[in-house]
Amino acid sequence: MKPQSCVNINKEWDIVGARQVGRDMAKKLGFGTVDQARIATAISELARNIYLYADSGQICFEVIENMQQQGICMTAIDTGPGIEDISQVMQDGYTTSGGLGAGLPGVKRLMDEFDLKSEEGKGTKIKAVKWLR
Amino acid sequence: MNLVIDIVDENRKSIVNLSGEIDAYTAPKLKEAILPLTKHSGHLVEVNLEEVNYMDSTGLGIFISALKSTKENDSQMKLANLQDRVLRLFKITGLDNIIEINAAIRGGNE
Amino acid sequence: MANLINLDAATYKDLMQHYIKTQDEKSLYQIEQVSKNFIKNNILPEEIVNLHIQALSELYPNLLEDFQHSMDFLLEAMISYGLAHQEYQKLREEQYALKSEISVAASMQDTLLGTTKPEIEGLDIGVLSVPANQMNGDYHHFVKGKDGTLGIAIADVIGKGIPAALCMSMIKYSMDSYPEESMSPRNILKNLNRVVEKNVDPSMFITMFYAQYIPSESKLHYSSAGHEPGFYYNAENNTFEEIKSRGLVLGVSPNTEYNQYELKINKDDMVILLTDGVTECRDGDRFIESEEVLDVIKKYADLPAQEMVNQVYKHFERLQNFQLRDDFTLMILRKRV
Repeated sequence: MKPQSCVNINKEWDIVGARQVGRDMAKKLGFGTVDQARIATAISELARNIYLYADSGQICFEVIENMQQQGICMTAIDTGPGIEDISQVMQDGYTTSGGLGAGLPGVKRLMDEFDLKSEEGKGTKIKAVKWLR
Repeated sequence: MNLVIDIVDENRKSIVNLSGEIDAYTAPKLKEAILPLTKHSGHLVEVNLEEVNYMDSTGLGIFISALKSTKENDSQMKLANLQDRVLRLFKITGLDNIIEINAAIRGGNE
Repeated sequence: MANLINLDAATYKDLMQHYIKTQDEKSLYQIEQVSKNFIKNNILPEEIVNLHIQALSELYPNLLEDFQHSMDFLLEAMISYGLAHQEYQKLREEQYALKSEISVAASMQDTLLGTTKPEIEGLDIGVLSVPANQMNGDYHHFVKGKDGTLGIAIADVIGKGIPAALCMSMIKYSMDSYPEESMSPRNILKNLNRVVEKNVDPSMFITMFYAQYIPSESKLHYSSAGHEPGFYYNAENNTFEEIKSRGLVLGVSPNTEYNQYELKINKDDMVILLTDGVTECRDGDRFIESEEVLDVIKKYADLPAQEMVNQVYKHFERLQNFQLRDDFTLMILRKRV
């Protein structure tokens, strides 16, 4: 397995750092401009969640492949309060930040695969994959 | 329209000054403000409706549940200074017979 | 889908090329059609910007690099719009699903609470009940007794919409369980009050006017549980008067007794029963006065009762810009002989 690179998210500008790492990896893999932009937006959402709701966390990127294709896998891990009602945060129109966030449903739309695990009081782990077509 | 709720707490008595409209949108806010006041035994809740120019049946519902709560908790509620249109609603529904309503203008420093 | 984008890409490029040359309206009209097609096929704004970028680079291979970067910048700016668009679409579908669910509930309510306007000799009856939204929190009911009397109920649950409608079903079933002939208006209200008091939330209540028309005596017996007063039209004097009655709303105090009143009805007299959706009509910020309701009724007094009711409704519907604020129920009974 290829080594993964991780970016710690502590302050707002770390979000930019995470986007940069993700975009570089996506570009190298051969993603087009539209998909690059989508991946970067998904990273923003994941990183903002960590920045807004958890004390600290990180986003890790790795290149993955199966028989037919290559892709990028991003994992966001935090040690925040966790998500109490997952189906609620996955609902359109629900954002606790009150802002115009695309939120987690947005991430799910932007990417091909999405998985979320959360434990109250312990933290949240989100995995999102985009395949290269 | 909105409803402004101002509560003045005195010894064993709370004066709730309302101004604006009481309808389905503002009623939950009113309920949240009034109901807790009725939970203390011996407490008097005086609601001043002088500045309330509209109330619909949802508003009546709030006062009915407050009244029920005063009976359960041995507290007391009085309504004061109702405008004609609002008073009419209490009269039609027969609630003026079971809720203490004081139509006279309340004294005090304005 | 990929094929579709490719097809659109070719069209887009051709149209743009043509427009750059001629700046004609026809190309603009055509791109309008393409754009609608994009929306229909869920093509997102960033993909359209991308189409534009591709078309540009094919038409102008030596385009200024700065300009290319600016287009990438625009594409990036479109991503969130694309997400918002998808979200709206999803919410719209959900809203549609919800609406059709409610309309199923509403038609169920119509069946459950339905009542037929009875044919009573010598009595002309008009009735109309229109909900502000889909579900009706007003209720009216006719019971034709074996002894020839007619029971008439008109009721209003506090609030409107689904909670009010659910509450009304309870009333309907309680009333159905009473042996109608033996029940006087005061007893019906007394019984219903107990049912409501036991079964609803403390802040919920129902107002009801219950009347029993006795044709053999030309008399109306009635009781009111805090209901909006109706009107009696005396044909001989050509006057309207409020139908006076007192009584507490249903659901507040468990052992309430109700007064019963009597009204003599002569030829051409009218009894007008309504809910506060009629009297609480608003004209802009102004509330209408009950005289205005009567004025409108007078205006149509020559029509048959059902026509009258329909016209009065039309009048207030127009007055409120075709947007009812509350459920509206109006009933007119006129003695013909």
